[in-house]
Amino acid sequence: MIPTLSGRIQTRLFLFVFLGLPITALFAYTHNGWSWDWNQAQVFFLFLTTLLGVGLILDPVYILIQSLRWDRDWPFAFQFFFSIIEFGIVVGLMINNWIPWLPMGSGKGAVELQTVTLHFVSVFIPTFLALLGPLSVFFIRWRFKAGQFGKL
Amino acid sequence: MLTYPIIFQVQQVSDLGNPVGDARMLKCESPGEFSVGKSKDCDVQLEGQSVSRHHLLLILGEDAVRIRDDDSTNGTFLNGTRVADAEVVAGDQIELPGWHIVLMGRDAKEPTLAATSDAVVLSRLITGDSGEVAVPPPIDPYAELFGGKSEVSVEELTQSGHPISEVKFCAVGGGLGSFVWVDHLRCYGVKAGDIAVVGTESACYETYKRYCKNSQIPDHERLRSNSLSRPDNIWGFPGYALREVFRGQASGIKGVFEVFGEPTLAQSYTPRAGDVFDSLDKEAKRIQWDAMSRQGQVRRLRKTNDGRYCIAYQPRGDDRGAERAKMALIIADVVHLSTGYPATRFVDDFQTFVANHPNKRSLVANAYEPHDQIYSAIENRDEPIFVVVRGRGIVASRILQRLSEARAKNPQIKIIHSMRSGLGSRDGAKYGRAKRSVINNVEIQPFNWPKAAWGGDLRFEYEKADDERRGEILSTLGGTSTAYRSDWVAIAERGSEEDWYRVVFGSISELTPADGTDDRIRVLIETPEKHREELFAHYLIDCTGLIADIRRSPFMADLLDIYDLPRNHAYAVEDGQAQKRGPTGLQVTNDFEISGLSNGQGRAYAAGTITTGGPYLAVDSFLGLQYSALRSVDHLVTDKTHKVRDLSPLRSLSQWVKWAVGSAP
Repeated sequence: MIPTLSGRIQTRLFLFVFLGLPITALFAYTHNGWSWDWNQAQVFFLFLTTLLGVGLILDPVYILIQSLRWDRDWPFAFQFFFSIIEFGIVVGLMINNWIPWLPMGSGKGAVELQTVTLHFVSVFIPTFLALLGPLSVFFIRWRFKAGQFGKL
Repeated sequence: MLTYPIIFQVQQVSDLGNPVGDARMLKCESPGEFSVGKSKDCDVQLEGQSVSRHHLLLILGEDAVRIRDDDSTNGTFLNGTRVADAEVVAGDQIELPGWHIVLMGRDAKEPTLAATSDAVVLSRLITGDSGEVAVPPPIDPYAELFGGKSEVSVEELTQSGHPISEVKFCAVGGGLGSFVWVDHLRCYGVKAGDIAVVGTESACYETYKRYCKNSQIPDHERLRSNSLSRPDNIWGFPGYALREVFRGQASGIKGVFEVFGEPTLAQSYTPRAGDVFDSLDKEAKRIQWDAMSRQGQVRRLRKTNDGRYCIAYQPRGDDRGAERAKMALIIADVVHLSTGYPATRFVDDFQTFVANHPNKRSLVANAYEPHDQIYSAIENRDEPIFVVVRGRGIVASRILQRLSEARAKNPQIKIIHSMRSGLGSRDGAKYGRAKRSVINNVEIQPFNWPKAAWGGDLRFEYEKADDERRGEILSTLGGTSTAYRSDWVAIAERGSEEDWYRVVFGSISELTPADGTDDRIRVLIETPEKHREELFAHYLIDCTGLIADIRRSPFMADLLDIYDLPRNHAYAVEDGQAQKRGPTGLQVTNDFEISGLSNGQGRAYAAGTITTGGPYLAVDSFLGLQYSALRSVDHLVTDKTHKVRDLSPLRSLSQWVKWAVGSAP
């Protein structure tokens, strides 16, 4: 991948809306014994949004790393690795109870580590695979626009 | 003005390219058009199974010498490039199956004629001095219909009696550039019946494949191209690496890992040449390429008086015996030019050597011309052989690989690698905060531009820049580089250790045959420290590339002159200042439109190497061709007059599904 900052943000938001949110809804639904309960589900949406926020904060850092690379690219391996780092940051903050809206544990409104890990994996794998090419099937110009949408 | 007589050396060669028998000299004392072929009525009669009855024409004018392929079955080549019609300069090698014809330089005339005193001097072309008239140049029907005119009337064309067909879209060239553009049109929903393609090739990758083969990339070897750059798939998904997995090739899994890890954890994945050609065959069938394709040589392009274009071409005869049309016409609303490399020429000293010492021609080769005879010759000899390899690009890497393979048969082969100057690990090109890495004096990057030039920040930066800044970026990011491959690095390292590979720095100042009976070449190298090093080598393989000038294609030259089309320019950075150099490609807009050719609602676009120096860096790559096709077809969509429907996300998906299941778009 060879994204620019605005390309990163656009792609990130696009994947959040079109893959992240639906998968999270599905995850919350199945996690709650195949029934819908917003009180149960909202923690997952908050988690995903926090993850998005951390990603958006880190995006300029990634662009800086890219500018130091001769090819100015972002290898798939980097994408993979840094996605896990982003997850690690959020979990680290949660463990230290620094995110008031995401308490960790088994109490009411709290969430357990293995549950968020499972949630993360179920969102991360499809979004990562979408970046490997399937996005281009819908957006033929995306790969020439550094991750941005629209006309060339 | 040309000075007559003009002399050609005609040499028969074996299948492997070795000279057979004595060379003949062909002396032409005055302008005229001379035919070469197997037929008895040819001015120059050449034997051989693969030589056509009328193979090519030597056209000697007042100012220039040209060759034109006369609809031969096996083609006419100029310095390794198949040509339909091209200008020839001293030192150029014209090739037809089993024969090499070299246009001699002025300086070479006397000594070479003396040296081959037993050569047969063809006298048929020599016009006597007793008032005998030179062969009058035959009437050129193209000059008659189009000469000097910038616009032709459709009525006049209809009355000319030449077969005419009308289409909406016409691609001129017939190679990969045309294919990719037509593939986009078809996937956007344009019907095959609305499209015509004219070119000399029967398969769109014919020329490309020939370059690969010559530069030692057989079908099973890998190209320098990305997995997602698929000229047969406008979406680039799935890439070639996944294709290998689907086809059950064991290398596929490794390929997918390479795509994942490249270029940091793994070597960059690159597809096999043969896989690219197979996939193109499949796509050609799907989009009905054959139904759109008309084989022939495009000779003229003109605006018509009703806002369209006329493309005049010389059709290839389907039936060799039948009388074939001298000219056929296509009238189209939109044209796309992707004529590829025009006739190419070698670097100066190489060209001079060939012009002056044609009898030593087999000792030197450009990496892009067929030169397998060198490998078979050195493999079969049982004595020390010195081969000079010049240049440090990716082609040099391939040639070194091939030579190291030859060492398995003759371990006495020694390689001298000639490079202009040494490159340390800190000497790589710099751009912004980034630096290109250097290994063994060679700059390393996976592809021939930094990846971001295709679709990252560099594409935007370059497109936005003015001419001068574009030139500056181009000269900084371009330059010679090779890809990282562990086997290539090992060749240099093991070779240096075992003393069969040596690097010599300096520029080659003289290239001459060794004195006397010594069947070697003498290479004089001026080192950076101003020393002179004299090398005697059995062979020299030049990997510094070919020089392409679009004017050497008479079709392009005519177009440039008639419409006064502006060209891009090369720039060199000296003392931090960009200095303007010679003209390069055709100027096009960011949508790859040739504005000087727009004609009312009619639109003309270009792609590929003829647009070098324009709005995109990597025009000469699979992905670059896809980019320019996308730009120009999107431009047609915006234009609305030509009724090309937009490829919206859902239409795109449905077209992709059709591609995936192999049904027509």
